[in-house]
Amino acid sequence: MDAQIDMTARHRQIERSAASWLARRDAGGWADRQQSALDAWLAEDTAHRVAFLRLEAAWNEAARLKTLAAGAGHGQVPARGAWADSPYFASPLGSPRAVAGHTRTARASRGRRRHRPLLAGAAAALLVVAALAGGLLWRNSNHVERAAWSTLLGAQQVVHLADGSTATLGSDTELRMAFSRHERALELTRGEAYFDVAHDTSRPFVVNAGGYHVIAVGTRFDVRRDTDGLRVVVTRGLVRLQSARDPAPAATMLPSGSIALVDGGNVVVRHIPLDRAMEYLSWRDGYVVFHGTPLAQAIDEFNRYNARKIVLADPSLDGLRVGGNFRLDNSTAFVRLMQQVFPVRVEQRTDGIVLSRRGNPNTAH
Amino acid sequence: MGEAVDTWFVREVLAHEQALTRFLHRNWRDHDEVADLRQEIYVRVYEAALRRPPDSPKSFLFATARNLLADRVRRQRIVSITAVGDLEQLHVLENELEPSRWLGGREALARLARALDQLPDRCREVVWLRRVMDLPQKEIASRLGISEKTVEKHIAKGSRMLADRFHGGPDTQAAPAASAGAVAWTRKST
Repeated sequence: MDAQIDMTARHRQIERSAASWLARRDAGGWADRQQSALDAWLAEDTAHRVAFLRLEAAWNEAARLKTLAAGAGHGQVPARGAWADSPYFASPLGSPRAVAGHTRTARASRGRRRHRPLLAGAAAALLVVAALAGGLLWRNSNHVERAAWSTLLGAQQVVHLADGSTATLGSDTELRMAFSRHERALELTRGEAYFDVAHDTSRPFVVNAGGYHVIAVGTRFDVRRDTDGLRVVVTRGLVRLQSARDPAPAATMLPSGSIALVDGGNVVVRHIPLDRAMEYLSWRDGYVVFHGTPLAQAIDEFNRYNARKIVLADPSLDGLRVGGNFRLDNSTAFVRLMQQVFPVRVEQRTDGIVLSRRGNPNTAH
Repeated sequence: MGEAVDTWFVREVLAHEQALTRFLHRNWRDHDEVADLRQEIYVRVYEAALRRPPDSPKSFLFATARNLLADRVRRQRIVSITAVGDLEQLHVLENELEPSRWLGGREALARLARALDQLPDRCREVVWLRRVMDLPQKEIASRLGISEKTVEKHIAKGSRMLADRFHGGPDTQAAPAASAGAVAWTRKST
């Protein structure tokens, strides 16, 4: 068995060789003799073959980019991001999560600010589709578009809003929408939602929750309501947090990588690395990340998602700290793990799972 | 062996690279080793398919991944609380076990455009002229005033970067780090 470092180096070396083969073949003038040499290299080791197949597949797929070149001058290489607003794309290039319908297409087409002659024809064609899809409806002066969504306990739903933004609703959540020409207003009446906001400076995107306005222009953030508070996590752009009841105090500005906790009129903001902030959004993938998290808090996370609640019978257990990744819908696995590593006794009752201290409290290790 | 397996591998296995990479990032502490692990997994899957293509390629891919990680952990002989717990059922999310699907055309195009835009300037230019404008490497060289060897190098580099971005997708770095299994520890509270 090679040392790990050698393995990694070997992987890179193989990938480089595969790329050289691909590039050499692509240069043309490829004779049978060269093909035989390539075949021999591929046959030598399955690792060679899979590396080559992987590069070749992507290289072949890259021919699809021709779609974007329609109308471009011969030999002209378009600027980076020239297709950012291309009607070919369902979602903004930076946002792999968003999947969109016609309304988003409408926005993208209308939002073309820079000139993009290469896309004009296709854009015009799609604009018709967009108009039919009702994407232009909300531009009418007094029209307010309303909708509401809710999720059941343990469920999740991705909602495509009329402006091209998306909202991902967590467990047991309710979200109401009222979009007008001047404002994109939403109300989070309970639960948690993550917003990927389409850029539109003329209409602020406002989430009302627990007596606060969370205001964004084009950004990504998560809002969550707890029994007695509110939490906002910002992962891109800038968000303004403002009390709805008392607009006098200065608004709190939350840049990317902030976590704001609101509790009884007080706002506490922490700044953390972005990858750490992203962990707060892992509920969208159905799991939760802990780092030295108090047990009671960890249990709360599971209880948000499961009807069968975990109850901490002994408050002294809260001194235990938990780390790791866990499936949110699998509280059984979580509890089993707690039992293995902590002096915890688990009692499965019909109304819930009760954790209490087991044996000698000093046996924790 | 042969082309049937190659095609199968591209369509049924590579199509899940993004999910696989996320899985590895989540379940393996050392992210530098992810590409290496992935390659090892591909080798195992490909060789198994030569004998008999699995009925459910995606489940087989993830089962292979779990086995490999478990092997590695055992080999490292980490006798600590770190590897405790759910090694037998390394967290696999439901969405990673969805039925396989090759990317829809539109999403593939968006990924490619994103991948292209992340190439270094000259490399991006060469890839565009070759792959989109269909200019021969030789003509690209004379047009850009660089040697044919240099064009070839840009193509080689471009193909690797495109593959990472295209198969891996844009989101692979966002998955939080994790250890194998789960980590738990106590803090003296009294």
